[in-house]
Amino acid sequence: MNKVTTTLWGLLVLVILSAMAAITFGPADIDSAELITCLVSNCQNPIANVIIWQIRIPRVLVALVAGMGLAIAGAILQNTTRNPLADPYLFGIVSGAGLGATIANITLADNLTIALPLAAFLGALFAVIIVVFIAKVLQRMEQLLLAGVAVSFMLASITQFILYFGEPFATNRVIFWLMGSLARVEMSNFYVIASVLIVAIVTVFALHRQIDALLLGDESAASLGVDVDKLRLLMLGICAALTATIVAYCGGIGFVGLMIPHIVRQLVGVTTLKLIIGSALIGAIFLIWVDVIARSSLPHAEIPIGIITSALGSIFFLFIMYRSRAIN
Amino acid sequence: MSTLLNISQLSWQVPNKAILHNINFNVRKGEVIGIIGPNGAGKTSLLRCITNQNNILASANVTGSVKLKNRAITRYSTKEIAQHFALVMQKNDSIFALSVQDVMKMGLLPHKTLFSLDSDHDKAQINLALKKVGLEQALHTNFNQLSGGEQQRVLIARALVQASQILILDEPTTHLDVYYQHQVLQLVNKLNITVIMTVHDLNLASLYCQRLILLNQGQLICDGSPEEVLAPKQLSQVFGLPCQQSIDGMTGATQVSFYLPESHGQNSQFSESLDE
Repeated sequence: MNKVTTTLWGLLVLVILSAMAAITFGPADIDSAELITCLVSNCQNPIANVIIWQIRIPRVLVALVAGMGLAIAGAILQNTTRNPLADPYLFGIVSGAGLGATIANITLADNLTIALPLAAFLGALFAVIIVVFIAKVLQRMEQLLLAGVAVSFMLASITQFILYFGEPFATNRVIFWLMGSLARVEMSNFYVIASVLIVAIVTVFALHRQIDALLLGDESAASLGVDVDKLRLLMLGICAALTATIVAYCGGIGFVGLMIPHIVRQLVGVTTLKLIIGSALIGAIFLIWVDVIARSSLPHAEIPIGIITSALGSIFFLFIMYRSRAIN
Repeated sequence: MSTLLNISQLSWQVPNKAILHNINFNVRKGEVIGIIGPNGAGKTSLLRCITNQNNILASANVTGSVKLKNRAITRYSTKEIAQHFALVMQKNDSIFALSVQDVMKMGLLPHKTLFSLDSDHDKAQINLALKKVGLEQALHTNFNQLSGGEQQRVLIARALVQASQILILDEPTTHLDVYYQHQVLQLVNKLNITVIMTVHDLNLASLYCQRLILLNQGQLICDGSPEEVLAPKQLSQVFGLPCQQSIDGMTGATQVSFYLPESHGQNSQFSESLDE
């Protein structure tokens, strides 16, 4: 325990340091001395005050909880489906959100600040409900992932159909939204994501032994008194709500849920409690820094964050495949 | 010895086939019972009914009753069932690198509440159970890297942590080398708890079980001591091969040998590859 505990405390310190450091990055120059003055007492420079409290801090905090949420959702899905490649994005959640966002963009173009996240959230939940329904009808909960991939393609094709015939401006908006960005987030987004995150973490902490029992197979878990189907459904619902909330505000940010738990397993272990805490911390650090890259690597422009995570994620994916080939 | 389990008139009918037909027997505390029979005889199905897996007894195809301590098993919650029965299955690999400790902790589950963490007492229990199966050194080893026999022993130790009164094993010796077959069954035999297991190898069953139950095509053919159940005539009928009984010189256990009629005579000894 001691080594694992030390690692986790170390990661927590890194999260805090990363968040502080990330606030100093951006177009306006704010050094760490100024930041600390602004955080602990009153800012001398009113512009710095506004930038720190209204732009940088909300953005870093949303990156923090979004990174935590996506990584945790991946970790939960992987442990409950016993599939190391499970990722919230493979369950059609993002395609569903994309469809919702597309419909909102085409029909409600005037009122997008509220309508877009809401429509994206509903679309994501809709996708998960279809996936679960299909798996239920097939009576094969272990085929959730395949059902997810199928639904994902179906919803994406509907989205593309609508976009193809839709108005070019709306199409542009949707495409940029799907690439993911934290540029427009507000403090209220942080509160919403954080609330869902807390519910998810508390539920997983309550049921961590049940989730662990799944790791040696459904039959083994059932013999230990776990209602396997109910547990899996509950966990899927939680991951869906978590991912849908994040996607609704931040757009498509892929591969975080796949990559982070994989690293955490090597670092602290595979059982649920360690995995969830580790994933939350490393996920937060990861997304905070990816967002720093997104907003500071190009002059006068931002790179959509989803492009960076997908690029890193796909390389990581190939790396995993190469390594597992080397082991076998 | 008091009756722990009572199985009465248990039948499981699917279209055109009786998976189990009118099974009746009692299990007394402390017995080590081996369920034997050819493939498809209903051995694993019987185990599933005894532990009411997936609430199978509530299904319309299943009739009859299973009572644990004079109370219908259907009236126990899944958690209560897990407190009474520990299950050791054939196949147990995990895709993730679980340590032996992680696997052992699963055994605590039926006795734990939501949110609970592991106490020092739990850790002591785990160490004690691993010591009983001779694997106290393996606590931090990767479970997937253990041999089949060691994995079975860890799962038996997990059952001890689970502190259930009845240990159910489904083919515990399949895929194991001869050495581990004997090691695992000897261990099971010495635990001093009630054991019900399906066994493929009749001679191992005879050696390590006090009582055998022979099933064929869903019917209970014979229930008794190894000597009674392994009667050559009966076995020949069930397995479709001529059979001969003998007493092992070393252990005094009843042993049986099968042979195909053609090969008998060519070999004075019985064909090795067809001993089942």
